[in-house]
Amino acid sequence: MGIVELENVRKVYPLGKVQVEAVKGVSFCIEKGDFISIAGPSGSGKTTILNMVGLVDQPTDGEVFLDGKPTSKLKDAELTRLRHETLGFIFQSFNLIPVLNVWENIEFPLLLGKTRVGKDEKKEWIDHLIEEVGLSDWRKHKPNELSGGQRQRVAIARALVTRPQIVLADEPTANLDSATGEQILELMKKINRELETTFIFSTHDARIVDIADHIIRLRDGLVTENVRRGEPAAAACSSGESAGA
Amino acid sequence: MNTIANIALRNLSRQKKRTILLGSAIAFGVMIVTLINGFAGAFSANVAENFSDLMAGHVFISGTEKGAKDKDVSVIRDDTALTAAVKASGAPVKYVTRRSAFSGTLIFEGKKIRTNVDGANLDEETFLRDRLLLKEGSWDAMEDRGALILSEKIARKLNADVGDTILVQMQTVTGQSNVGEFRLAGISFDAGIFGQMMSYANLSYVNELIGLAPDEYQTMGIMLDGLKRTESAAASIYAGLSGDVQLFERGVKDEKGAETPFQALMRQQSKETWDGVKYRLFTINEILSQIKQIVAALDTAAAIILVVLFIIIMVGISNTFSIVMFERIGEIGTMRALGVQRGGVRSMFLYEAVFLALGGAIAGIIVALVAMGIISLFDFGMENPAFIIMKNGHLSFYLPPLRAAGNVVVIALLTLVAVASPAGKAAKLTPAEALRTQK
Ligand SMILES: Nc1ncnc2c1ncn2[C@@H]1O[C@H](COP(=O)(O)OP(=O)(O)O)[C@@H](O)[C@H]1O
Ligand SMILES: [Mg+2]
Repeated sequence: MGIVELENVRKVYPLGKVQVEAVKGVSFCIEKGDFISIAGPSGSGKTTILNMVGLVDQPTDGEVFLDGKPTSKLKDAELTRLRHETLGFIFQSFNLIPVLNVWENIEFPLLLGKTRVGKDEKKEWIDHLIEEVGLSDWRKHKPNELSGGQRQRVAIARALVTRPQIVLADEPTANLDSATGEQILELMKKINRELETTFIFSTHDARIVDIADHIIRLRDGLVTENVRRGEPAAAACSSGESAGA
Repeated sequence: MNTIANIALRNLSRQKKRTILLGSAIAFGVMIVTLINGFAGAFSANVAENFSDLMAGHVFISGTEKGAKDKDVSVIRDDTALTAAVKASGAPVKYVTRRSAFSGTLIFEGKKIRTNVDGANLDEETFLRDRLLLKEGSWDAMEDRGALILSEKIARKLNADVGDTILVQMQTVTGQSNVGEFRLAGISFDAGIFGQMMSYANLSYVNELIGLAPDEYQTMGIMLDGLKRTESAAASIYAGLSGDVQLFERGVKDEKGAETPFQALMRQQSKETWDGVKYRLFTINEILSQIKQIVAALDTAAAIILVVLFIIIMVGISNTFSIVMFERIGEIGTMRALGVQRGGVRSMFLYEAVFLALGGAIAGIIVALVAMGIISLFDFGMENPAFIIMKNGHLSFYLPPLRAAGNVVVIALLTLVAVASPAGKAAKLTPAEALRTQK
């Protein structure tokens, strides 16, 4: 069942007097619970696509469907609410909030939005996540006291704390050495299986795409390969499953 | 605590140097303004109290008779009713003074100066000896009927020394020109512009010069045990006098804006006619109602300084927060991606500004209070030209709490205005822009 669908998405950035077409008409369908890799060299449009899937940016043309619903007409406040409720984010440079400690960084998304979680339930869940990412001894530490790998583990826990349907990770291993990067990916994969959370990660490193169920390769803003479990994947979600199809 | 406010607070302590710098700027401004406010707050009470000393009373009663051609003659011929009323009022009276005075020209070896001369009964007004310290000469020389005490500046202008004979020209109460001779018995310490109010002679001799009988006088001064009871004492003495003697109405309203109540009373008096002596009761507050204007001017100056100083400080704060916004652009992007709404980003900056303003302002007030405490320890003595604004020779301060609170609110509001634009810019960023600009 398709959870994310891009339909003829284009993204044009104004750059001084010229227009840069970063994404030139991309369509794909992502199945719920998959572990997806968006792969391509630097400048191929990975970040631009993840930003649009993550509702932090909007396409110039085309439509992004999230859980079957179109998102291009939504206002900023609604997009923000939707991000908070359905998406988790992992960034290349970790992006923890420097003044908050490990526990507080993970807690932070739970303090936003309208729904409030019970205190005990919240504590239990955060403690569970901290254990899951292997940082039980580091709860009170500030981000600047952690290694890159540890910071990315905090970010993973933070991305999961709201129990999002989809976690987006833009080159989550690019700032880590390859061994640590592998561990991070293994951790994401493990959580993907355990919680059945859809993970979409981008990478420019051809060696780490094999871990994915579904690989979408990009070059110059176009999809060059779209393979799911060894089979060519359809560019559109099958009709009936997506409101836009 | 609210998460956003909590983060704002921690952001302040994260950048300690910058916070201390901006906070100190705010604190400094608030300190200056608080000092001026505190000075102004004590100013009017100090001046009134010192003037009470100079004029020997808090509450005054003067008498006026209609002379030839309806000219007003200032005289109290018989004060039994007045004395009785003062006694019966139950007011906390320290002592009662009886004075006559004239404004005339002193002449010595071709030099002239206009001054006011008070005739006092120095046997009664023993406190004057303690209050007015002499630089040269002695109070004992006042035994001499024509003796005169001048303040330093006036004596210097005349170039007269103790023992010199000084000629005086003045008018009697009925308007005749008259001349007399004084002998300079003492020179008091410089009292600045108030020196002219501090020439003292014997009551009996002044009476002779202005054409009053030896046991008559012009103004009764009632010195209370403090300024605070002035108005209630005045009211009860006035009530005691009503019915017994002819009395001018009290508290004539200020008809023209520029007039003090005292001037208004004088104008009203010159329009009426009556027989015998009619009495007027007034207080130091009425005489010094212009002091309120000075206090208002000081407070206005403080307000202007507050605004000017703070516009400068606010420009600094506004610029700093613009830089802060760029430094934290990645954090802003992250928060927006995680689900913080635009308003949340804006409030984060506004909270930070308000905490900074409150911290700075409160520190400024505390420093000012400490400074006031220290400054008021210094004894400038009673013989300095600025004594009139001091309390027993010490600078004193009173900070009205509402004014202090008002200053804090003004600072907080100005700071909010200063960061409104950077906060607005931060809120307006799309999350993608913010995340992209971070590196
Ligand atoms: N805000 C922008 N303004 C102009 N050009 C941009 C902007 N963002 C990205 N680009 C351009 O779009 C193309 C795709 O960028 P991006 O999505 O960041 O690629 P990737 O993440 O694969 O490296 C690149 O050529 C990049 O220079
Ligand atoms: Mg990228």
